[in-house]
Amino acid sequence: MNNYIEKNILPLVTKPITYLGNEVNSVHKTPNKDMIRFAFAFPDTYEVGMSHLGMKILYGLLNEEKDIWCERVFAPWVDMEEQLINNDLTLYGLESMMPLNEYDFVGFTLQYEMSFSNILNMLKLSHIALAAADRKEGDPFVIAGGPCAYNPEPLADFIDLFVIGEGEEVILKIMEAYRQWKKASGKRTDFLKTVAGIEGVYVPSLYKVSYDEATGVIVSFLPIVDEAPKTIHKQFIDDLDSSYFPEKIVVSYIETVHDRVSFEIFRGCGRGCRFCQAGMIYRPTREKTVPTIQSKIRALIEATGYDEVSLSSLSTGDYSEIETLIKNLVEEYEDQKVSISLPSLRIDSLSIDMLEEIQKVRKAGLTLAPEAGTQRMRDVINKGVTEENLLDTVRTAFEKGWGHVKLYFMIGLPGETYEDIEGIADLGQKTVDEYMKIDKELRNKSLKVVLSASSFVPKAFTPFQWMGQNTREEFKNKQRHLKASIKDRKISYSWHDSGVSFLEAVFARGDRRLGKVLKRAHEKGCRFDGWGEYFDIEKWTEAFAETGIDPDFYALRNRGYDEILPWDFIDTGVKKSFLKAEAIKAQEALTTPYCPEKCSNCGIMEFKEGWQCHV
Amino acid sequence: MSKIQYRFKRSTALRFLSHLDQQRLFQRAFRRANINIEYSHGFNPHPRMSFALAMSVGLTSDWEYGEVIVTGELDCNDFMTRMNAVLPNGLEIISAKVCDEGTPSLSSLLEKSYYSLKVKLVPEINFERTNQIIKSYLELPVINIQKRNKKGKMVEKDIRPFIESISVNQEDDKNDPINVKMTLVYIEQQCVKPELVLESVNNLNGAIFIIDPTIECHRHKLLLKADF
Repeated sequence: MNNYIEKNILPLVTKPITYLGNEVNSVHKTPNKDMIRFAFAFPDTYEVGMSHLGMKILYGLLNEEKDIWCERVFAPWVDMEEQLINNDLTLYGLESMMPLNEYDFVGFTLQYEMSFSNILNMLKLSHIALAAADRKEGDPFVIAGGPCAYNPEPLADFIDLFVIGEGEEVILKIMEAYRQWKKASGKRTDFLKTVAGIEGVYVPSLYKVSYDEATGVIVSFLPIVDEAPKTIHKQFIDDLDSSYFPEKIVVSYIETVHDRVSFEIFRGCGRGCRFCQAGMIYRPTREKTVPTIQSKIRALIEATGYDEVSLSSLSTGDYSEIETLIKNLVEEYEDQKVSISLPSLRIDSLSIDMLEEIQKVRKAGLTLAPEAGTQRMRDVINKGVTEENLLDTVRTAFEKGWGHVKLYFMIGLPGETYEDIEGIADLGQKTVDEYMKIDKELRNKSLKVVLSASSFVPKAFTPFQWMGQNTREEFKNKQRHLKASIKDRKISYSWHDSGVSFLEAVFARGDRRLGKVLKRAHEKGCRFDGWGEYFDIEKWTEAFAETGIDPDFYALRNRGYDEILPWDFIDTGVKKSFLKAEAIKAQEALTTPYCPEKCSNCGIMEFKEGWQCHV
Repeated sequence: MSKIQYRFKRSTALRFLSHLDQQRLFQRAFRRANINIEYSHGFNPHPRMSFALAMSVGLTSDWEYGEVIVTGELDCNDFMTRMNAVLPNGLEIISAKVCDEGTPSLSSLLEKSYYSLKVKLVPEINFERTNQIIKSYLELPVINIQKRNKKGKMVEKDIRPFIESISVNQEDDKNDPINVKMTLVYIEQQCVKPELVLESVNNLNGAIFIIDPTIECHRHKLLLKADF
């Protein structure tokens, strides 16, 4: 098959090299009958998926095991999809080019809700039954993990098992269970029942959900077998510093979204922004040490030849020894022309000094995220940043020669008024004013301020999980009002389609009844919903109508604090009572301190025996 | 600081690289091989490396040239060994030499390119007919084609001067694509793509060759004006 595809198919598609799996550091093994074949599936394009850190970790980790061969598969682009269908071929794992339906496991990573339709599409192209219930003995187990697995319910019909939380340890336990099960020649259901007993594993087919006929809300959510626990505890690694991180990562031939070594310096975040799901589900905060980071980065650069390292985390400036780390890295790599980048910086002048340190030559655009336009609104969302912080930062940046500033905001936040919308425009204007105050000789010759406003999507396990999203009409009016409030021509404004955000809100807090809609939308041809040119809200609207499901029930409705939420069976360590208290504080615009300053008892300290934050 | 010129080949495994992909690949390979290369000075420093030709996507080749400026001294055998240890399967350095600062750039030395293409014929056309067509095609004193210039305007261009020879050969299995050998000449660093030559044959004679991206194009040899 390899030769046929290489000769007759790949010359006809865009980016053919991405379908061959022969990159530097890709893993090739000689298969035997006992080898576990695992296809790590990223439900988006190669360029997007290859930028993803989690895939690199699990790919390395699984391939360390002699009897496991983990390969990669991405959503084929539409031209390749067409070729596969027309030539009656099956979607394949890149390294061995084996059809996906012959693997033992197909493991999807769930990074964003808008990739769900791609999962169904990839299963179809793999000739794997869409519904978990229709899979037969000998079919692959379709598993999934990642941030969207924290509300796995919309995918419950299609996925055999979910991993909730950090996968590094759980995945190996699942593999071990598989070895035993294979030896014992067990039945498919036996395996699922066994793994349901592993901490952090959720097997949706072993649970029954009942709904109130009149209101549609959940009245019970219960396991139907003894092996399945009532509550699933998310998994996290205590000692991140000694946890597994690959020494080699696959280097793409084509340019990917993040074409560099991305190295995770810490996990979790203690800021407690109330809109942020990552900030809640990845608790507790755990750091790697400076020597570990430096030696791992050194090995990765040697193994890949990359000329850029990005220090990744949820809020890189919060790393306790960030200045030492940057100083050391700059010293080590200055002569080797390896540059260092810091994504996710918070707004303070210290950040500018750090940026100056690492960007001695180029002054690329500066991106800051105040998230909301007024102090009241920033207090509501607990974004502990003041207008003064922001203006100090932009002033420092302008003094040092930056001329392009991008400010990120959200609209549709809880309790938002038109005054808060105008605040976004004001902040843009004040940024321009800061630039004007600076001596013409010192400042950059041109100024561009971009205000970017996305439509807020309430997420599970955040204090805003009960809140209804704004309607599309409300979003449109707010966008229009914001646009009208901008007076200066140096300010430009960009926004996102609220149709996508609406659908995201449906699936982010949906339940398993949405499986029907997803299947219907897939049959209508929906895929690549995250890509503007393929997102078709009409098809989705039809899919909801034809399955008799009201999307507003999920996206727009304010939910009661006592309602059983579809994801309540998962325990992330952050207590529901804490989230509720935070939601109430938000209504009064009361803030909650940064974790290291004062513990607010979110629950993570009691969650795992022996765990202690900030020691 | 020294300039190293090297010859390399690219086989099927990496034939789908774009020119930019290949540049990036070499740049990273230099780093993995622990070969320090020079960077241009200025606002946006670039590694000082280049290729004699930009290889098109799909092309395989036994004969390509590249050059790179490295910091300090480097033995050319050492260069080859270290590079071949880190280059992925599909790219291999065949030879390398250290040259003087003043050596002219590779692209200014281009002379001839020897191609071999595997092409399918349209069903009504047989091998003998193709052979005749090519013979009379080569007797034409001028062969004008329509080409888009850099500004995007269509202009007429005579490609005859770039064509030294074309021959067609049949494979043992008559159902296989035929093998078209072509020698093309560089004039002031310009040439014509072999696929364009086939296209002009089609344009003058009606459909002969099936021209689509599945044509396999291979370069046997690249001749430079100076010895390498």
